[in-house]
Parts: sequence; structure tokens; C-alpha cells
Amino acid sequence: MPLPRQTTNAREKGSPTPTELPPEVRAEVAPLLAPDEQVRLAVATDMRPDGVYGAAYLVATDRQLLSISPDGGCPKLTCLDLPGITSIEVQELFGSNALKVRTDASGITVALFSKSLVDRFARVPDELAALVRQARPGAPADLIRRSGRWHPAPLRRCETCGQPIPHHLGVCPNCLDKGRLLRRFWGYSLPYWPLVVVSLLILLADTFIGLTPPLLMRTLIDNVFRPAETIAQAAPSPAAAATSIGELRVHLPLLGPTSPAGALLALVLVLLAVHVSRNGLGACRSYLLARLGQLITYDLRLQVYHHLHRLSLNFYNERDTGRIMNSVTQDVGRLQDFLSDGLQELVRDLLTIAIIVSILFYLHAGLAAFVLVPTPLIVAVTLRFGHRLHMIYHRLWRRWASLSSLLADVIPGVRVVKAFAQEEREVRRFDTRSLDLLQGELKAARVRSVFGPAMAFLTSLGTLIIWWVGGRKVLAADLSLGSFVAFTGYMWQFYGPVESLCRLNHRFQHAATSAERVFEVLDTTPDVVDRPHAPPVPRLTGRVEFRNVSFAYEPGKPVLHGVSFSVEPGEMIGLVGHSGAGKSTIINILCRFYDVAEGAVLIDGHDVRDVQLKSLRDQIGVVLQEPFLFNGSVAENIAYGNPAASLEEIVAAAKAANAHEFILNLPEGYDSELGERGVRLSGGERQRVSIARAILRNPRLLILDEATASMDTETEAKIQEALRRLVRGRTTFAIAHRLSTLKNADRLLVIDKGRLAEIGTHDELLAQDGIYARLCRLQTELSRIRAV
Amino acid sequence: MDAEYPLAAELNLLEPRRVRFERDPYDDLVLVTDGRRVAGVRLVRTFPQSAAGRMISVRDAQGAELGLIADLAQLDRRSRELAAAELERLYFVPRIERVLGIEERFHVPTWEVATDRGRRRFEIRSGHRDVQVLGSRILIRDADGNRYEIPDYRRLDRRSQLLIDSQI
Repeated sequence: MPLPRQTTNAREKGSPTPTELPPEVRAEVAPLLAPDEQVRLAVATDMRPDGVYGAAYLVATDRQLLSISPDGGCPKLTCLDLPGITSIEVQELFGSNALKVRTDASGITVALFSKSLVDRFARVPDELAALVRQARPGAPADLIRRSGRWHPAPLRRCETCGQPIPHHLGVCPNCLDKGRLLRRFWGYSLPYWPLVVVSLLILLADTFIGLTPPLLMRTLIDNVFRPAETIAQAAPSPAAAATSIGELRVHLPLLGPTSPAGALLALVLVLLAVHVSRNGLGACRSYLLARLGQLITYDLRLQVYHHLHRLSLNFYNERDTGRIMNSVTQDVGRLQDFLSDGLQELVRDLLTIAIIVSILFYLHAGLAAFVLVPTPLIVAVTLRFGHRLHMIYHRLWRRWASLSSLLADVIPGVRVVKAFAQEEREVRRFDTRSLDLLQGELKAARVRSVFGPAMAFLTSLGTLIIWWVGGRKVLAADLSLGSFVAFTGYMWQFYGPVESLCRLNHRFQHAATSAERVFEVLDTTPDVVDRPHAPPVPRLTGRVEFRNVSFAYEPGKPVLHGVSFSVEPGEMIGLVGHSGAGKSTIINILCRFYDVAEGAVLIDGHDVRDVQLKSLRDQIGVVLQEPFLFNGSVAENIAYGNPAASLEEIVAAAKAANAHEFILNLPEGYDSELGERGVRLSGGERQRVSIARAILRNPRLLILDEATASMDTETEAKIQEALRRLVRGRTTFAIAHRLSTLKNADRLLVIDKGRLAEIGTHDELLAQDGIYARLCRLQTELSRIRAV
Repeated sequence: MDAEYPLAAELNLLEPRRVRFERDPYDDLVLVTDGRRVAGVRLVRTFPQSAAGRMISVRDAQGAELGLIADLAQLDRRSRELAAAELERLYFVPRIERVLGIEERFHVPTWEVATDRGRRRFEIRSGHRDVQVLGSRILIRDADGNRYEIPDYRRLDRRSQLLIDSQI
């Protein structure tokens, strides 16, 4: 019995359904099959037919369908002859999916599977249907039926490793190649290499100098104080001691023999120089590195924003606006913080640790080894507490968010709260969340208050060891007093960088995910691009032709099927159809927001893909249902598509759009600010501004997408009047649900389920008595109801 | 003055004593009311979280509502069992009885649990969207959209509680 090849990767897309049959199941299946019967399909599920998790298998041969649950499911085995199958039903349930097969006499659920296996089972019904049709050539074409109310949004898993991608990340943390990200960053800092070199040199010098004071202290004690003290103790009286100290010559490195007072002065001066240069260099370093970080992020921010505007609409449809905005602001900001701050800390901490360790070993190797013993403990505790604190803060942050979302919800709705007299309840709701927050804060405070002292204690362990081990070495004359003091001094400087390095890991992780998100934007190539050397289109006459156009936003879900029509220059076309029929898609394709999958769109005989995109869109004017006005003056908004327009042109366009009168009623006329801080226009007024915008652009192709949908009758009349002026002499495509809006249209295109169903004038279509006629009758009835 | 609009008339409640469920040979649920048989009916919970056994909407195969059953408990025993079994099948939400372990990688926790339907491992994409805490009841949606429920996590064993506490 030849079995199909075993495939382990269940996530392969487009490949035949993978088959997996363990040997014991194969052994069980074998006796049930005729000698020449072949297994064509074998799928493992994760649920038995009785609804318990466990292994079960669906096997189809060229003759029969088997459902097997070897480890105790009930029923253990179901066999069905393929030719008898009359339907295959895919049931999408709330927490699982089921595959049910019917014959003339019975219906049997042959497989249950959890939502995790949806991908694996995606093609099973089709393959099964194909097998049934092979076994019974007369079987109907529509064997497959689907039912179920639950269509969960596709949850994302990484395509390479299968790791679920967390909502807040948006990128697979497992496949994040931090080395590659870092190398890519180098690319951004390369143009600034002199700045990089200088800042690194300063950083080096700064760190070195910062670590000298304990060494100076050691010289002061060993080379100056100790000799002086020894002599003083040997002298009979304090006066004699002072004299003999005055005559003493001590040795300082580099300076040679000097008097103790002179040596002291020299050391004080050196310490002064150390502090002055250290702080001076520190100031330079932090400015230069901040400058470097800011310059790099400035480049990056601009590049991201520039790229965002090159990307096609598709990109925006797949992502939410907040995420995109975050890429430009937050993610780039986080990178900047890491570049300016994190990276410099990293280098400085590593350098400090290396230098201190070498100095300690130079001073006394034996003691140094002892002193470093608590370090792993400190690292472990910092990491553990750090994680804990991070979790607590994250939870706290969520509670804050929940409190402010409550406020954002209730304060604007305060009219409703008062009208229903629910003030008390709202206060109680606030109190619950506020109490949650209080408890969270207290918990954070508890952990924080333990963390600080615990770390301080651990750090002091090092000093304890120095006192005990080092002290004994001093007593045994194995270690000089100066070295002992220097050890203590370095100990205090040592643990700071260690802790900070532990915390850096977290920051690095954050920066890496931010970088990945930013690069994800930068690496997306626009779907709609100009061909190389595409010529600009000349001034259009406005002839439009769709040739057998098919299109799908997502592969496998076609929205338009073979749509063909042609439109004469200056004609006004009304697009009619149910929501989701494909009207807006036709518009999107006409504007070349998307490229067609099959067929072609020709404007004045030019395929839209062969001409320069900008030159095409320059001749298209759009009026949308929800007109979008930018922050800025009325005049700026009218002249948005034509910033060079003169004052006369702007006013003329506003008059043509019936907007002039209401604009003059605004206190600042055409200079009135719109948007957040400015005046608020009504829907009809906004629409008229957007019509003026379209008129001013003087487009050859005009698109009205539900331009009057949400207006009252009087406003609509004003807008209709304005639109009549606008459409004159231009090829116009108008989408409207209210058919009365389309009474001026020369011809109507009726779109139904992605196909062009009817085309013709209002009267012709009424005479045809098809979809349009039915829609018309419905709307007449509706308006009669409204009129009552 | 007009009488008040009778809100209750909107409901279309099925009279529990005149309603019966059966299963036909096609393993479909059949609603029998006043001698009328509707095959292939679907049940929909109107309050899947707060009242799973009440206000069950009964729909025909095309999805049109035939009526509501105020409380499954009012049906005769056989019908009640059939309806409950059908709902269990439609709303497959295993109850977690023990949490065996929670491992975390990249802030994506993987839970290993024992449920009333057997052992299961699943991943949680986002702790605050997918783990819903309603008092001591917890509703979970895993990374693939599967559902789980912990009716009262305070009654689980100590270790399970500690593990859950670290996640909510």
C-alpha cells in the first residue's frame, strides 16, 4: 500500500494537505483497504470525535473515507463509501471546527479539530470533494457547504518559526536578528563617522580619567602619609615630628623626591585636574553622543515618513493608524534614546568594569579574586528583580490606562450619565479602578523598597570581604594601606556599572523590536509604482475603458470578476449596487490605488500602469462621503491640490461650490482656521469645501463617492447644485445609495457580487426590470414611508 | 392615552412545555413544536458568558430565529440533554482543572494545563486582551482563537493559583 510522502511542516501554504500517519495507524488502516486501494489524503487532528483532546485521523482513499481515533475515542472507527457522500459540511464553531459528511441516509461528523489546525484543514474539504467527484462522476459541483457564525480575525504567527506574534510587538521576537539590526544601524551612523570617532575617544578618555581618584588616594597614603606618620611616631615630641616631616623626601611617580607638603599639593592639583577634565569631557561626550543620536534619528524619521507616503493604500489597510504613527514617533524615539543614551552607557559600563578589574588584579591579584565573588549573585538578583519590577510596572501602567480610558469614556458622555442619573454608579466604577491602581502602586512600592536595600546589602558584601580578607593581608604586610583604601574605593564604583548592564538588556530588547518595526516599514515595497521611464499622460479627454478587469484585495477572495465597459469623454456614470458589491473597488482601480490582477484599465487609450502615476492623479478629482479637511485655513484647504492658486481662483471655486456665503459668515472669512483649534464646520459645509477643492483642481476625471449621503434635504439640494457645475464637461463616476442622487447620470452601471450586471440609462434599466428596477421600487416605497 | 407598548411581545419565547428537541438520522437537531418539525436547527447562546443556559435562540438552517428558550432547565429531560450536548459541541470551551506550568518566551506565555477534555498546551498572545478576569472566573483565548475557561480559579490547587496569579 503506497502511502503519500510524509510532510511535517503544516504551515506550508498552497502545498497539498500534509499527511501524517504514525505506523500503528497505518497498520490499523491497512486491513480495511482493498489490495489496489490507494490512500489519497491523511490528516491528523487534535480532537477525538467525542470532543476530548487526543489524536484522531481522517484518511481518504480513492474509494472510502475513514475516521480513526486510535487512543480510545468513540466511535473508534467510521468508514464511509466515497460515492455515497452527498455533501461535505465545514462547521466553524465557537471554540472548535467540525467536518460533517452526509449521505442519503445519515450524517456523520468525521473530524473535530481545534482552531490551531484551521490552516492544516483549509484545503481538506476541496480535496475530499475532488475525490468524491472522481469516485462518482455524476456528483454535483457544490458538494461543500459552510456554516458557522464565528470568523475570528486571522491571528498572526511568524511565518518562519510559528511563534505567535504578540499584539504589542507586531514583529516576531524569536526571529529578531539583533546582530543584523545593529549592523544596519552602523549603516546609518557611517555618514557621521568623524563624530563617532571623536565621541568614542572622548568617552574612552573620560572613563579612564574618572577611575583615577582611588589610585591617587593610594599614592597619597602609601607614598606621602605613611612615611610621614612613621617618622612622626618615631619623633619624641610633636614639634620634633613636624620638623622631621618637613625634612622628609617622599617619592612620587613621575615627580621624584619631593617634600610631603609639596607632594600633597601636587596630588591635590592632579585631583583638581582630574575633576575638571572629567566633567569637561563628560559635557562634551554627552553633547556629541546626543547630537549623533539625534542626527541619525532625524534621518531615519524623515526616511520613514517619506517612505510612508510612497507606500500604496494596501499597506494602510492592513495596519491600524496608531501603529503606523507609532513607528514614526515612538519607535524612532526609542531608537534615539538607545543610540544617544543606551549605547554610550553600554560602552562606558563595559570599559569601567574592564578597567576596574585590571586595576584590582594589578593591585593584588589574590584579593581581587575574592572581591569579585559576590558579582554573579548581584547579577542574578538584579536580573530577577528587574524582571519582577518590569512586570509590576507593566501591570501598573495597564491600570493607569484603564483609569484614563474610563475617564475618556465617561467625561464626554456626561450628558448621558446625568440624563440617566447614574452619577453615583460612575463614581463607584472609578473608585474600583482607582483602588486597583492604589493596590498596584503599593505593591510596586513594596518591591521597590525591598529591592534598594537588598542591592545595597549585596554591594556591601564586597566591602566586607575587603575588610576581612584585605585587612588580614594588611596586617600580614601583604597589602599596603593605600591599596586597601583604593580597593574599597573601586568596589563602590564597580557594582553600579554591573547593575546598569543587567538593566540594559531590557532596553536593548525594546530598541531591537522598535528597530525591527521601523525597518519593517522601510522594507515594505510599494505595490503600485511607476514603470521606469513611464511617460506623463497629456491632458486627458476622459475616455475610460475597463477591459475584462479582475481584482482581489486578498488572494483567493476576488472582488471583481471580468468587468468590462467603456465610458465616453464627459459622460456621467452612476455606480449602483449593494454594499460590498465592488463599486468602491472600481473607483480604487480607476485612481490606480491598486493594480489589477487581470485585464487592463485604459484612460484615453493609455494603460494606467504605463503612465506616470502623479500625472494621472493630477487629473483626477475626488469628493468623498466624509470629506477630510486638514488643520489650516479654509483657503489652504480649498487650494490643497493646487497650492499656487490665486485668491481669485479660490473665491471663484468656493462660489461654484456654493461655499462662498457660509465662508464669509465665519469671522475670519477665508482665513478661518479649521480643525482641532479652529472653527467646526457642519457636514454639508465641509462637503462644499471639498467640492471647491475638487473644482479648483479642474480635473478631467471626477469621482463622487457618496458625496451627498449624510445630508439633510436642503443641504443636499445646495450640494447637488454645486455638483452639477462641477461635473459639466468632465467624465464623472458617482457612487450613491440614494438613487435619486443619480438622476443626472447619463448611464448607470449596476454591480452585483463583483460582476457588471446591468448597464444603461435609467429608463432602459427600468424597462429591463432587473436588479436596478427592483432597487428603484424599494427606494420609492421607502421614500413614501418617509413622506408619511 | 394609549396603553404602553408591550415589550414582552417582542420576545417570541417558546413555550417550554410545547417544545421538544430530537435528533434525526443525519445527526441534526430537530425542533418539534405543535406537531411541526424543523430539522437542522441551530442554537445560539445570547449570553455566552454570563448566562450560558438561558435565553437560547433557536434558529432554522437559514439562520432565521424561530424563537427563544428562556431557560433550558424548563425543557423535558431528553430535550434538555440534547440541547445541552449541542451547545457543548457548538461552544467548545474546555474547563481548566489544573495549571501544570507556564513558561514564558518573549513575553508570550505558554500554558500547560489539564482540562476536562484532556491535556493541552497553548500560547497567549496578549495577557490583557486574551485573559479576561471576571472576579475569580477567568476566560482565556489562546493564540489560535481556542477558548478555555476557569470557572473559579480560587478553587484550584495552590500551585495552579500561584501560576495564574503571575499572569493576571
